[in-house]
Amino acid sequence: MSHSQAEVTQAEASGEFEPRIVAFLCKWCSSAGSDLAGVSRMQYPSNATPITVPCSGSVSPMYILSAFKKGADGVLVSGCHIGDCHYIEGNFLARRKIHLVKELLGFVGIEPDRFRMSWVSAAEGAKYSNVIKDFVEDLKPLGPQNKMKADRS
Amino acid sequence: MINIQDMRDTARGLLTKKEVRAVIGYRRSTNGMLAEPVVITDPAQADELIWDPTCFHNLSLYLVEDRKFLTHVRKTADAPIAIVAKGCDARSIVVLMQEHYFERKDVYIIGMSCEGSGVLDERKLAAKGIRATDAAFDGDDFVFATAQGEQRIAAREVMADRCLECREPFPKEHNAVLGENKTGRELNAPFTALHRFEELDAGARWKFWEHQFERCIRCFACRSVCPMCYCEECVVDSISFPVTGQTSAEEKANRVRWIERSATRPENMTYHMTRVLHLAGRCIDCNECERVCPVNIPLRLLNNKMEREAREEFGYEPGASIGGPSLTASFLDTDPGKFIR
Repeated sequence: MSHSQAEVTQAEASGEFEPRIVAFLCKWCSSAGSDLAGVSRMQYPSNATPITVPCSGSVSPMYILSAFKKGADGVLVSGCHIGDCHYIEGNFLARRKIHLVKELLGFVGIEPDRFRMSWVSAAEGAKYSNVIKDFVEDLKPLGPQNKMKADRS
Repeated sequence: MINIQDMRDTARGLLTKKEVRAVIGYRRSTNGMLAEPVVITDPAQADELIWDPTCFHNLSLYLVEDRKFLTHVRKTADAPIAIVAKGCDARSIVVLMQEHYFERKDVYIIGMSCEGSGVLDERKLAAKGIRATDAAFDGDDFVFATAQGEQRIAAREVMADRCLECREPFPKEHNAVLGENKTGRELNAPFTALHRFEELDAGARWKFWEHQFERCIRCFACRSVCPMCYCEECVVDSISFPVTGQTSAEEKANRVRWIERSATRPENMTYHMTRVLHLAGRCIDCNECERVCPVNIPLRLLNNKMEREAREEFGYEPGASIGGPSLTASFLDTDPGKFIR
């Protein structure tokens, strides 16, 4: 069990709700951004589990739905700023796809705050920590996500 | 007004001259009023073909089946296959060609204009308590043959919702076409049902969908009937996972299963949302999925939501052109991005 997971579990044991966030970070920008936040020793909540993907455009809606199904309280997709994509147009494609996913989640009645997208460049460690802070703040009042979570008991 | 004999003559002519190898059309089913799909290869069978308000099936599904069959038997077609297509069916054929599932020369489209009318919604007719043995178009009315004699009903009252909202009752893509072009006749504004549903707040929407997703029995009828769901392997089944004598139990257990087959609410939700996302920009609103659903889940709302998003936010119209880009494989600089932080 990694350090961050241990902290979350500890907080859960103390009774306070700690949301679990699955963060799909693009390899070239956001992942490096989160690294920068780490090496710069910025303080931000440890609720996000980062998953590095080659490009935000490679995030299939399937990943997002599957994360919710496996019990994520929030899902974040983060990539390079528009125009900065390593693969030239990956984030343009992501923007379209993610827009559809977001609209659909809202349509069936899942709280819109549970799903978020951001652009974080490799130099924006501070922005990454803010994105996570804001996300956790917004998720706490919503409580655990039970609408899509599969019952594995 | 379409003369059925014209359609039969067209089909007979094509088969006699061997311009096509088969005609996919509708014939009277053995179950009273309803039409059923038929594939005819003999010119003499052309008189079996019919055209009436119960021809609601989207026959382009059989073009997909035909292509799958040809691939399976490793044969190439010597002649195109002809298909009777309404406005919506023609659009779905365009989407299939846009995705290079087959080429334009492989198919001969006998377009049927719905003119001022559309197809019947059986449920609406049943709600009126009418049991008919035959149905026919007559101007803006449907004429039903019942035990009490002929009954005439305004088409608007029993027409399928999607036909009321149809923006393109005329098949633009065709080789031959019957009936007049009455595009723009919109009887109801597009997305009327969707707008009505969206007036509910998020809590009420969730209550509604929670109930609907709870009821799904995962029979996959919606997937089987959809001409766009042609993948060899669906993300739901993982059937091509090779299981040999050497495959360990661990390997089998650890393979990626995005969606389990159990019919529980979270799995059903994931299935339906995946389905609708895979159909975004491809679904042309033939509404066959909702019609075949044994538990009447209103799938059209989901499909329409994606269709409207594509139309309003990205200016994308599914089935508009064969050479055009597809929705999720293209982008514009002006795509909305305000939701991104």
